[in-house]
Amino acid sequence: MMFAIRALNHRLTTAASAVVFVLLWQGLVWVGGYDRFILPGPLDVVRQLWALSADGRLPTHALYTLSEVIPGLFLGCAIATPLGYLLVKSPTAERLLSPYLIASQAIPVIAIAPLLTIWIHSTYWSRVLVAVIVVFFPILINVVAGLRSVPSELYDLMQVLRATRWQIFWQLELPAALPILLAGLKTGATLSVIGALVGEFVQPRSQGLGYLLLTARYQFKTDVVFAIMLTLAAMALVLYGLVGWVERKLVWRG
Amino acid sequence: MKRLTWLFLLALFTAACSSSPTAAPELTKINLPMGYIADPQYAPFYVAVEKGYFAEAGFEITFDYSFETDGAALVGAGELPFALVSGDVVLAARAQGVPLVYVMEWFQKYPIGVVSKKAADITEPADLVGRVVGIPGLFGATYVAYEGLLNANGLTADQITLDEVGFNQVEVLRTNQVEAVLVYVNNEPVQLRTLGEEINLINVSDYVDMVASGIVTNEQYAAENPAQVRAFIRAFSRGLADTLANPAEAYDITKKYVEGLGDERRAVLDASLPLWQAPQLGQTDPASWAKTQEILLSMGLLDAPLADLTAAYSNDFLYQP
Repeated sequence: MMFAIRALNHRLTTAASAVVFVLLWQGLVWVGGYDRFILPGPLDVVRQLWALSADGRLPTHALYTLSEVIPGLFLGCAIATPLGYLLVKSPTAERLLSPYLIASQAIPVIAIAPLLTIWIHSTYWSRVLVAVIVVFFPILINVVAGLRSVPSELYDLMQVLRATRWQIFWQLELPAALPILLAGLKTGATLSVIGALVGEFVQPRSQGLGYLLLTARYQFKTDVVFAIMLTLAAMALVLYGLVGWVERKLVWRG
Repeated sequence: MKRLTWLFLLALFTAACSSSPTAAPELTKINLPMGYIADPQYAPFYVAVEKGYFAEAGFEITFDYSFETDGAALVGAGELPFALVSGDVVLAARAQGVPLVYVMEWFQKYPIGVVSKKAADITEPADLVGRVVGIPGLFGATYVAYEGLLNANGLTADQITLDEVGFNQVEVLRTNQVEAVLVYVNNEPVQLRTLGEEINLINVSDYVDMVASGIVTNEQYAAENPAQVRAFIRAFSRGLADTLANPAEAYDITKKYVEGLGDERRAVLDASLPLWQAPQLGQTDPASWAKTQEILLSMGLLDAPLADLTAAYSNDFLYQP
């Protein structure tokens, strides 16, 4: 009963904050007297969301962007997780790779994104790769932090119990590191949307929300730009929520 | 001591009398969105600044190399007085209520073309039928020009395979991933020739007259400050005329503004000169506005014709030397 009341309370608070946000937005438009091309009101944006959904453009382009975001996130995770493990377990690997990994974060993705298309001969995969590059590092950092957070006494205990390397990983390191690892995945989930969009901006094709955004900007349809931004935000929220759901299922909070 | 005081006062008086009549008038600082990175094609602006034409007109110019649409939006919002914007963007903006007025047609010819390797034997638009043509994307000036080229030559989209290649036209053409690419005629063809490629170039402007890049201002600004608009255009026109008359000098001046610019990109300026020439510099033609609107409508980039197309441009501020 208490749990149900708390959940209802939580939903009401979320809904109330959304209402306040929309009212503040509309108030700003009224008080500022802005033209629609400078700051469209929420109603203009909802109208565009409806129109773009009705003619199928928004779902088509959103699905295309999602088709870049999800592989980008999974590949980023698939590369960062074992690499993070390697960095924690092997001081030699850490010494060899860390400087390059850190330096790689100083390279602006937009500078190399156009070259990716030439190198790998695929616009789609080069966009996915941009998403991978963007999500990779935060996940890697969290994997390292998660694994290093495992108390050393627990390692001693596992050794006393003569646990194998696999048992240590599966029964100690993974559960202990999971909360921090999933926190990294949450960050990665939101960043993967930005990564895919950067890819679509730099390697524009007539597919994806990035292309729709470019066209809307060219046409000075700021209300369409806002409608696309809301869609992207919703996409990031859903992905974040999904990782949060996985977290709730997997992580035991004593 | 008394004598020294008198001398001091006399010096102060002399300084005050001599400085007030010759004090330089305060210049209006202007941030000018250019729409592209610092480049030899902006030589007329650099010349106008270096030769003091803008200062004489009362302006101190800072160049802002941001996106064309951002500059247009800032001028439309009244945040900046001028920007460099192409005619198609002006029409798209006005369709959404952005109060831009195009007051000087700098590029008299739309600077887009189709470039191919000589071996592909593409010398006229009809030769594109059945070919794979690379385009940065289905947006912007290259897309508008492509549609204009098809429209002017009775070609249809299904006769040509269009491949979106991003801004990698030179690389995809050189590696034979496409047979031709849409480019800026004063940029990529120059690069290709420098790289030793033998090329054919189809100028879109030989087939269709659309409004290219020029100076835009805000409707309200133009109505309230016609003298400033004229002064700005006069200064730029003088820079443009000097550049056309003496490209070598203009290129030398440009080197001060484009970091690391050697002599290798002189060809960009040379390729730009014919795009600017006109009997009356800056004059815009109503027929080319009608054509531009027709193309945007056919592409679906405009939902309906503008209520008053003539309000989008003006020849009233041009400089007559």
